[in-house]
Amino acid sequence: MVLMFLLSGFLITAFLMTIAKRITALIRTFRLQSLFLFFYTLSMAIAQKHIEFFIVSVLILILKVGIIPYILTRIVRRINVEENLELLVNPQLSLLIALLLTYFSYLFTYHIMPFGMSLESAVFVVSIAIICIGFFIMVSRMKALSQVLGLLTMENGIFLAATAITGGMPFFVEIAFFFDIFVFVIIIEVFVYKVNHLFTHIDISKMKSLKG
Amino acid sequence: MLIIAILLIPFVLSVLSLFIRKEKALGIINALGYGLLLGICGLFTKNFLLDLRPLSLWGWLYVDSLSAFFMLTTAVVAFAASIYSIGYIHAEIEENRISLRKAAGYFHLFNLFCFTMLLVPMLNNLALVWIAIEMTTLVSAFLVGFHNIKESIEAAWKYIIICSVGITFALLGIIFFYYTSSAHAGIKSLEWVKMISGAHFFDPKIVKIALLFIFVGYGTKAGFAPMHNWLPDAHSQALSPISGLLSGVLLKISLYAILRFVILANFSIGYAFSAKLFVIFGLCSLAIAAGFILVQKDLKRLLAYHSVEHMGIICVGLGFGAAGGAYAALFHVFNHALTKAFMFFCAGNAVRVYRTNNMNKMQGMMQLMPFAGIAIFLGAFALGGLPPFSIFISEVLILIAGFVSKQYFVAASMFLFLAVAFAGLVHHISKIALGSKPQKMERQKEALSTKIALLFLGVFILGLGLKIPQSFFILLNSCQKLILGQ
Repeated sequence: MVLMFLLSGFLITAFLMTIAKRITALIRTFRLQSLFLFFYTLSMAIAQKHIEFFIVSVLILILKVGIIPYILTRIVRRINVEENLELLVNPQLSLLIALLLTYFSYLFTYHIMPFGMSLESAVFVVSIAIICIGFFIMVSRMKALSQVLGLLTMENGIFLAATAITGGMPFFVEIAFFFDIFVFVIIIEVFVYKVNHLFTHIDISKMKSLKG
Repeated sequence: MLIIAILLIPFVLSVLSLFIRKEKALGIINALGYGLLLGICGLFTKNFLLDLRPLSLWGWLYVDSLSAFFMLTTAVVAFAASIYSIGYIHAEIEENRISLRKAAGYFHLFNLFCFTMLLVPMLNNLALVWIAIEMTTLVSAFLVGFHNIKESIEAAWKYIIICSVGITFALLGIIFFYYTSSAHAGIKSLEWVKMISGAHFFDPKIVKIALLFIFVGYGTKAGFAPMHNWLPDAHSQALSPISGLLSGVLLKISLYAILRFVILANFSIGYAFSAKLFVIFGLCSLAIAAGFILVQKDLKRLLAYHSVEHMGIICVGLGFGAAGGAYAALFHVFNHALTKAFMFFCAGNAVRVYRTNNMNKMQGMMQLMPFAGIAIFLGAFALGGLPPFSIFISEVLILIAGFVSKQYFVAASMFLFLAVAFAGLVHHISKIALGSKPQKMERQKEALSTKIALLFLGVFILGLGLKIPQSFFILLNSCQKLILGQ
């Protein structure tokens, strides 16, 4: 029951991301999705009574709900970015594509992966859908920050997939992944400032000096 | 203990570079350090070759012949790049393009970059390999965007984002491997030593899907077409010694990661599936790169596209694996690393003197800089694959493997693309090297360090073309056995 609620939470936040028109909305939705991820790992931790799961879920809370959205909002505030996301694909069509991607993940899971009809496969469908939607956000939104958010969404999906089908990666591997995401966001922050400073905008579609 | 020393040297050097504020002294210390590193690496490989037994340290590090080979390649190119950096950075400072502080930053990043690249082949845990590869991206992005101008920042941004997405797909592949390893073989670990012991039990279907993700994911970082579009930007915008490292070594480091999973997959699905994937990506890279090489105007982009082309050759070679192609492909990895670094160093000098990347504005390099001019001219032939240079040998070996394994179509199309790329390369480079120099330019003094770096690489390029040393032969053979799972 709880799990179903959390799963629909994941999907709904992913859909919300595809129709978000402003960067702040995108960041807020990402934070909400990470919160669902936190609750999901917490419920796993309670079910399995494993101290390592508790640590992982707390780390998700600190990093993905706390620090990363904070850093991203700080960037938005500092560079006074125009909030509009300049969608290449309009929201209605985006939502339709997101739905199609979800259906595709369903087909992929039930026809290719040999899980059968179990709860894990439901989680797996959702995680593949989130990965696809994250990728879609990356290629269809023209702001540097939205690309970063798409990538982070993909990472959320991968994390969910890992816990769904394998019951969690080895503990120190997860710690290392958190470290990696953290470093990634810090370095991205540096580069967003540089892009903004040099181009006076963070619009990727206007970066065209390198070709051929 | 030699392994620890190999990791320690770049680390110590990166810390040192924070304290020394003289670029020449720093460069020389750096080069000495990498000389030592190369020596240790050579000694390690020599000891290793005595019994070829994989070395495992505390469960964290694991070195077999494949790792030793990639470490050796990294060490050779890093040594050459560190020598070349002395003169390069000195000249950049003299011409006021970078400040002293930035020069120190350069050496710091250079060492961190080499550290991460040396770490990748040593790690036992496949998830940590993934993280180390992501770290190579993040560190080298600063070296790509080093000049802080529009083009370089744009290239760095593309580089980070595209490679990170690629590698995220690779992570999904790793998770599939972990799933089948824990569900079907009962091994809840990503450690190479443990996974390989249960690799017979992996589910073939899942392994195939996982391999697809691994190929697309790490293939993005390895410069396989059609996921290569970040590569020409990043490799052309980086500083020239770094371009040499990126093209020469970093691409191969991701190939190493792919090979690890191919070996793992061999136990359940055999080599045929991986070979097919290698051939597809290889031919695709060859075809796309050959087209771009012909119409290229920018010297460093030309060389970058040539790297895509050579990754294609290596892939096709691995596709012919069973007939000795894997041996030839690994030999080509080494040759291409050295020759490409050689060419990027020459190109770095040309770009600095002519102050442009545009090949139409370069002429008479042989008159302007006799040493680098002759080097770039000979280098073009070496890179294009003419005898007596080493790339010729590995390319011929790959073609022979193709004919032996009766894949006539693939071998013939590879030969065709090679011819196109060769024609394009020699056409462009001869226009640069030959002719008379622009009238208002004077003959340049060439830094000693550049000459040493080029000579060092040149000796290898020519030497391996004439004779493959016995020990190197043994190392490559043992790698081939590992890849094919024999």
